[in-house]
Amino acid sequence: MTVLSEMLRNLVSRPATTLYPAEKVPVPAGFRGRVECDDERCIGCSKCSLVCPASAITMVDSPREVEFRGKTMMRKKKPRVAVYRCIRCGLCERHCPADAIHLRSVLSITGTDREEVLA
Amino acid sequence: MTRVVVPIGPQHPALKEPLNFRVIADGERIVELELNLSYSHRGIEKAAEQRDFIRALPLIERVCGICSHSHSTVFSMGIEEIMGVEVPPRAQYIRTVIAELERMHSHMLWLGVAAHEVGFNTLFMWTWRDREAVLDTLEELSGNRIHYNMNEIGGVRVDLSPPQVDAALARIPVLEERMRAYVAMLEDEETMLARFRGVGTLSREDALRYGAVGPTGRGSGVDYDVRRDDPYLVYDEIPWNVVTDTDGDVYGRTKVRIGEIKESLGIVRYCLEHLPDGPIRVAAPKAAPPGEIYSRYEAPRGEVAHFIRTNGTDRVERVDIRTPTLANWTSVVYSLVGRPLADIPVIVAAIDPCLSCTSRITVLNRGEDARGETSPYTGQAGWFP
Ligand code: SF4
Ligand code: SF4
Repeated sequence: MTVLSEMLRNLVSRPATTLYPAEKVPVPAGFRGRVECDDERCIGCSKCSLVCPASAITMVDSPREVEFRGKTMMRKKKPRVAVYRCIRCGLCERHCPADAIHLRSVLSITGTDREEVLA
Repeated sequence: MTRVVVPIGPQHPALKEPLNFRVIADGERIVELELNLSYSHRGIEKAAEQRDFIRALPLIERVCGICSHSHSTVFSMGIEEIMGVEVPPRAQYIRTVIAELERMHSHMLWLGVAAHEVGFNTLFMWTWRDREAVLDTLEELSGNRIHYNMNEIGGVRVDLSPPQVDAALARIPVLEERMRAYVAMLEDEETMLARFRGVGTLSREDALRYGAVGPTGRGSGVDYDVRRDDPYLVYDEIPWNVVTDTDGDVYGRTKVRIGEIKESLGIVRYCLEHLPDGPIRVAAPKAAPPGEIYSRYEAPRGEVAHFIRTNGTDRVERVDIRTPTLANWTSVVYSLVGRPLADIPVIVAAIDPCLSCTSRITVLNRGEDARGETSPYTGQAGWFP
């Protein structure tokens, strides 16, 4: 009986599936998506690359002046993230002292950039 | 008597993961069963020894795709105990919330799979639809549906904000309503009862003898739950009950799991309403002093244990993971004997097996002094993980 009433209820209720792509699945705030580094803030300390469990971050040369805790300093390197190696664990974001690296609410499971996919 | 050897797996439509049964059948009845596991050994234990605790945790979490929080929590609890780190109460509550949400989504997934195995795909669709509400909650709280990565040594990675807590609390009444509907379905749906009742019966004595854990044991009347009998996190401070049943068959295990979902809903509600203020983590030292610990945890499938040995460095010297599925296999082999072949999928599904997590040891030496015994029927050596 319960099965029957459930069936009847489902017959008149709206579908449980989302009509993608006309309708998008809402992405909650704090969703762990694509990793992006804020070049203005990164001080090149390499902490993110050290904690990354997937070894997805390599430090590349990028000398520039940055502000850190009210002081201007010279950084030597910045991180480069192999987005398709990244397991989106959030450890880089958690351990960055300069609040420079973040997981954005952007999905990163597909891509067409050959360099990025193979990195 | 003619006996036929029926090989089932490692690739088989009824199995979701690689596993091999060598079934010796007399007509439709199963006479003897050989079980071969470990087709998907991934070497996670060894890999965990190669990296520091911070980088090992996401790896340990990936032992299982369903009880990911279980593995990372039992590992962190072990390391924290060796280090003598006291985790703040707020972090303990957050860990408990995630743990119980995980139990809910795991049991709802199981209910769907079990219904699917007996051909009741309608229920499969319904439970998985409702499970989405739990997964959405987990995604909102942690940023991901499956690998929450909430734990770190000394606390949790992110805090829960008041709007997140309210959104999670708002979903609970809906889920409670759904659970009531499933209980009603379980009680009067003849097609399901016919395939669940009296199938895969395991008496309390046998459950104890073969070391069944979790809902498999509790469905046979074994009143044992690590959360109550060796409390961790905040289970000794909050109101909840251990669910047991005396039927001992697939039906009994189903009742236990649905009862546990209801209990989990209560625990989540209580924890979210009584979330203490304070820090979400304490700074843990990088290295752990030399020590050994046997850390236990009640995962959705039963007791999971990590044996951890540290040697004064920032990584483990050895971590040995005993997953609940391994403890439950013996009871499956036992309860299948004498049953018709068609019962294999549902009896196997009733322990909620998780095979990749279970794969640990592979015996390579199958020569004369190997442990593999020769089957009297097939004449082939079996290798028993
Ligand atoms: S941890 Fe932060 S500041 Fe340091 S290199 Fe990475 S992004 Fe830059
Ligand atoms: S999210 Fe995790 S895996 Fe991805 S780059 Fe950051 S630390 Fe590495």
